[in-house]
Amino acid sequence: MRAFRWDMFTEFFVKILPYISVTLTYVVGSVLFGFFIGIGIAMLRLSKKRALQVIGSLYVTIFRSVPSVVLLFVIYYGLPMWVENSFGIILEDTDTIVYVIVTFSLLLGSSMSEIIRTSYLAVPKGQYEAAVMVGLTPFTAIRRIVFPQGFVVALPNFGNIFIFMIKEGALAYTIGLHDILGRGMYLGGLKANVYNLELYLALTFIYWPCTFILEKAFKMWEKSLRNKRKKEKIC
Amino acid sequence: MLEIKNVKKSFRDLEVLKDVSLDIGDGEVVVILGPSGSGKTTLLRCISFLEKADGGSLTLGDKEVSLKKATKKQINEFRKNMAFVFQNYNLFANKTVLENVMEGLTVARKIPKQEAMERALEALEWVGVINKKDAYPSELSGGQQQRVGIARAVVLNPEVILFDEPTSALDPELVGEVLDLIKKVAKRGITMIVVTHEISFAEEVASRVVFMDGGVVVEEGTPDKILVSPKEERTKEFLSRVLPKDMYYI
Ligand SMILES: Nc1ncnc2c1ncn2[C@@H]1O[C@H](COP(=O)(O)OP(=O)(O)OP(=O)(O)O)[C@@H](O)[C@H]1O
Ligand SMILES: [Mg+2]
Repeated sequence: MRAFRWDMFTEFFVKILPYISVTLTYVVGSVLFGFFIGIGIAMLRLSKKRALQVIGSLYVTIFRSVPSVVLLFVIYYGLPMWVENSFGIILEDTDTIVYVIVTFSLLLGSSMSEIIRTSYLAVPKGQYEAAVMVGLTPFTAIRRIVFPQGFVVALPNFGNIFIFMIKEGALAYTIGLHDILGRGMYLGGLKANVYNLELYLALTFIYWPCTFILEKAFKMWEKSLRNKRKKEKIC
Repeated sequence: MLEIKNVKKSFRDLEVLKDVSLDIGDGEVVVILGPSGSGKTTLLRCISFLEKADGGSLTLGDKEVSLKKATKKQINEFRKNMAFVFQNYNLFANKTVLENVMEGLTVARKIPKQEAMERALEALEWVGVINKKDAYPSELSGGQQQRVGIARAVVLNPEVILFDEPTSALDPELVGEVLDLIKKVAKRGITMIVVTHEISFAEEVASRVVFMDGGVVVEEGTPDKILVSPKEERTKEFLSRVLPKDMYYI
């Protein structure tokens, strides 16, 4: 049995650390686009038109039941083909991270739509009606009255989405992206995978603070919102 | 003048309003009575476009609009002259009392903040909750919340205020003071439609009482006529149920 090589651990740690920026890029990108898709899907599901509701729930069930890796490969192979065939644009040089962001935006769109829909429904409809009756347009009523209250309800779930995304996004290595995990596996390979324990321990100590800090940040944000609005209560 | 013509509304196969029409003069206080499920709330909601009617029209001043086909712009235009006081108050929970009253002035009517604040404070003073101006709705009693609801409506200087059972969610001991406040609103000469089960309020304040049942106006007239000597069987039957025996003198 060989001894644990602290120098290797340190080397991996230091060399992988800068790739946090890659991971953060697709996490933020996917959450952001996923949020907008989520709003769109939530609107479909809340619509009065039956057909739109069906489209919305179809989207949710499809993307909820496909494993992320599978969708990742579908997008990785399918998107360039589709774009080339329908728009005549060749995507060959496209950065791998784009496929990752597309995939996870679509996936997160489905869970976000559920979060958005339930938080929207948590705000009593009467407040929206009161808002339009004092002359606000429907959009302004949502923006100024419904959204701020729904947001407080949704915030803990958004925090969970971020953490899910940091962990699930690691699958991006399967299509060759050098994010934290991808870079780590590449460096491990250069050493013929002899020091994999050191490698994965280094990865553990990179991922852990990321999720930990994020979790704490969201808790603090929630708390500050609650303090500022501790007097508001959905009544 | 407020003219409600031929309003029809069904929910799926339930016909809730079957051709309801009402002519209301400026400054009139019309009280709508009727058993539960007769369509009173639905009527108010249709004429304020919170519910889309299947037919009918609304005339306010010299403008007429179809209740079924009104555009977003027309709806906004008509709502500028209308206010609604809800049974459950529906105050904005994320805003203070003062902000609740200012919202319609600053955001919808684009009145400068300073002026809006002065008008809002004046309205809060008038309804008697000025001491709660920085509180959030959840910190208020039901009676106080409804006062704010009334201030939020009155501050906009609407031509018409619609009240849907404004006191029926209140603790009994608070009903009287809120009704007194609504009487005060009536004295300002604003046209009002009030759905209520408070017969004594109707007797005292209404210029006209409308009795609805099963989605139609069964009978309407002065409080004397409707409350004391109704003609229709359905009205008599309703009144005999809601009025204490000694008040019902036919
Ligand atoms: N959104 C809706 N969907 C389906 N049915 C509805 C809806 N709103 C009201 N109704 C039905 O329409 C009928 C009339 O309701 P409405 O609320 O107008 O009665 P109301 O006269 O205000 O009664 P109450 O005195 O109990 O408030 C009732 O049978 C009610 O169940
Ligand atoms: Mg009602």
